[in-house]
Amino acid sequence: MSAINIDLAINGFVTGLFYALMAVGLSLIFGILKIVNFAHGEFYMIGAYAYTLIALLLGVPVWIALPLAFLVGALMGWITERTLMRPLYAGYTSWGVMRDEYAVIVTFGLSLFLINLVDKVIGPYAYRGPPLVEASRVSIGPVLISGHRLLAAFIAIAVILVTAALIKWSFWGQQIRAVSQNRLGASLAGIDTAKASVIVFMLSGGLAAFAGALLSPVINASPDVGIFPAIKSYIIVVLGGMGSVPGAIIASLFLGVIESFGAVYISFQYRDAFGLILLMLFLLFRPQGLFGEKGREV
Amino acid sequence: MAIISHRTCVRACFAFVTASVAILGLAIGAQAADPIKVGVTITQSPPGSVVQGTQVKDGLEVAAKIINDAGGVDGRKIELVIEDTQGLPEKARAAVEKLITRDKVVAITGEHQSSAALAGIEVAHRYKIPYINTNGWSDVIREKGYPEVFNPGNYNSRVGSAAAATMKELGVKRVLSLAENTDYGIGLAKAIGEALKKVAPEISYKYETLDRASKDFLPAMIGLRSNPPDAIINLMLPPAAYIMMNQAYEQGIAPSAKTWLYDGSGLADYPDFWQNVKEAGKGMLVFGLYHPKMKQPPLGKEVGEAYTAKTKNEPNRLLFQAADSLFIIADAIKRAKSTEPAALIKALDATDYTGTRGEVTFSKDKGFAFNQWLDVPYVTFQMTEIDQKVGDSVLVSQPGQALDPAKLWKPAK
Repeated sequence: MSAINIDLAINGFVTGLFYALMAVGLSLIFGILKIVNFAHGEFYMIGAYAYTLIALLLGVPVWIALPLAFLVGALMGWITERTLMRPLYAGYTSWGVMRDEYAVIVTFGLSLFLINLVDKVIGPYAYRGPPLVEASRVSIGPVLISGHRLLAAFIAIAVILVTAALIKWSFWGQQIRAVSQNRLGASLAGIDTAKASVIVFMLSGGLAAFAGALLSPVINASPDVGIFPAIKSYIIVVLGGMGSVPGAIIASLFLGVIESFGAVYISFQYRDAFGLILLMLFLLFRPQGLFGEKGREV
Repeated sequence: MAIISHRTCVRACFAFVTASVAILGLAIGAQAADPIKVGVTITQSPPGSVVQGTQVKDGLEVAAKIINDAGGVDGRKIELVIEDTQGLPEKARAAVEKLITRDKVVAITGEHQSSAALAGIEVAHRYKIPYINTNGWSDVIREKGYPEVFNPGNYNSRVGSAAAATMKELGVKRVLSLAENTDYGIGLAKAIGEALKKVAPEISYKYETLDRASKDFLPAMIGLRSNPPDAIINLMLPPAAYIMMNQAYEQGIAPSAKTWLYDGSGLADYPDFWQNVKEAGKGMLVFGLYHPKMKQPPLGKEVGEAYTAKTKNEPNRLLFQAADSLFIIADAIKRAKSTEPAALIKALDATDYTGTRGEVTFSKDKGFAFNQWLDVPYVTFQMTEIDQKVGDSVLVSQPGQALDPAKLWKPAK
C-alpha cells in the first residue's frame, strides 16, 4: 500500500469516527421514538460553541470544557424532549396513534430557530476552539495529522465504546433496547417508556454536542456548522440500518474511508456525493441497511 | 333647476382653488418630508457570508447617517429598507421584487455575493430600477450589459490581473487556485487563468472548486502533499476558507518554504481572521482593496472614523464599498433632482464623484468593463506575524510600486 493510500485510509477512518459520534445519537432516537431529529446538527453546533466559548471566554481548561459541552448538549436534549417531543406521544403507548409526523416539522423548526438564535446572540463570526494539544503537525510514518485530530480520534473511540457498552449492558441501556424493540410491549412489562425517551434524547444531544466540541478546533464553530454533519448522519443511519447502533458505527467508518479515497482518486468536488450515491444504491438493493430489519407487519 | 348666483359661484371657485392649493401644498410638503427609500439586499443569516453582510450593513448605515446629518438629499432623509438574502439567488430575486413592488424603493444596493447579485439584477432590469452592485465581483454581472446596473466595487478581471502580476513577480512555475463553488469563486479562478495566459504564459495554472458549505478539505490537501504547487491562491470565503487554510498548513503545504499562499478574497479584513487561523495565516500574501497606509480622500477618513466609533472595529474594504454605493445614489438623486428611475440612471451614467476610495466614474466599454469603475484601487500586503493588524502588515506593492520577492517573509520549511 503506497504512502498516500495509508494516509487516506487513516484520515478517512478518523473522519468516520467523528461521523459515528453524531450518527449513533441520531440512530438511538430513531430506534426509540421512530422519528428523525432534524435539529441534530444544531446540537452539534451548540456543543462546538459551548466548548469554544467556555474555554476561550471563561478561561476554563479544555479538559473541563469538553465534558461541559457534553452536559450542555444533554441539557438541550432534555429540554427538547420535555417541551417539544413529549406532547407528540404523551398518553400514547402505540406508535399507530402517535402524531410522530409532527416531529418532522417541530425538529425542523427547532433547527432553524437555533441557527438564527446563535447567529443573532453570538454573532455570525466563526470561532475556532482551542486544541486539546498544541501540536499542529504530528508525523506517524507517511501520515501527517494534527495533534488535536489524533487525540480527538482516540477520545471518539473511547466514547463510542463506552456508549455501546452502556446500551448493551447497563440497566437503562437494556430498557432502551426493550423500548426500541416494542414500545407497547416494554410498557406492559413495566418499563417507563417516557423516561427511556428522555435518556435517549439526552444521550443523543450530549454525543452530538461532544462531537461538535471535539471538532471545533478543526471545523470552527459557526451558526451553520451542524448542517453538513447532520446530513451525513442521516445518510449513515439509513446505510447502517434505521435504529441500529452497530450499523451506524460501521457505516460511519465506511463512509469516511470511501469519501477520503473518492476525493483523491475520483474528484474532490464529488466528495459529498459519494454518500448520496451509496444511499441510493442501498435504497434500491438493500433498503433495510447493513444491520436493519426488514419491515414486518402483523 | 336651482339658480346659482354669481357671488355664490365666485365663492365656490375661490374655495375650490384655495382647497386645491392647500392640498397641493400639503402634498408637496409631505413629499419633501418623505424619506427616500433605498433597498438593500444583504446576507443576514447562513448559508451566505453573514460577516460580509454585517460589514456592508454597517457601511450603509454609516453613510446614511452622514448624509442625513448633513440635511439629507434635497431636504429628504435616506431610509434603508433591508432584506436578508441568505446569499441565495432565489431569495435575492424575491427580495429585490419585494423592495421594488411593495416598498417602492428608488434604487437597490448592498449586494455582496455574485450569485445573489446575478439573480437580483434580473429583477431590477425588468423594472428598470437602478441597481448599485456593492461587492459582486463576477464579470458576468457586467457582461450582461444592463443599463440599470452600476459597479463601483471590485471585479474579477481586476483581481485576475493583480494575482497574475503577483505570480509573475514571485517567479513561480505552478499555481493552483482553490475556489469556492459559486459564481464568484469559479469566475475569479477563470479570470486569473485568463490573465496569466496574457502576462505569464510560462506559468502552469489550474483551479479546483471546493464546496463552500463543506467543513473538511483534508482529502484534497493530502492529494496535494506529494507534489505541492509553488503558489496556492485562495478564492474562498469564511468560514470554509479558514478550514481550508488550517488544513493546508497542518499538511505542511502552505504557507511553506516551497509554496506561497496568496489570498484573493480579502480574508485579512475579517475581524475573526486570526482567531480562526493562527499559524496558518502567517506569511500569507493578500490582495487588498483597503490598507490603512493607502491614500484616501477625506470622505474615506470620515467614514472610517465613524465606523470605528460605531462598531469599535478597524475599517475594512466592504465598509468603504458600501458607503460609496449609497453616496453615489445620493449624488445621482441630487444631480437628477428626481428619484424617477430613468432620470436617476441618466445621472448615474454621468457620475464623477469623489467617494471614500477615489474618483468614481463608470466606463461604457462592453464586457466586464460595462458600467464599471475601472480604477478600483488595490494593494498587496503580507501578514508577517500572528494576530497582526492589517495596518501593521507589510505593504509589499501598491499602484506604482512593484513587488520585490526578496523582501517577503517565508517559512523556513
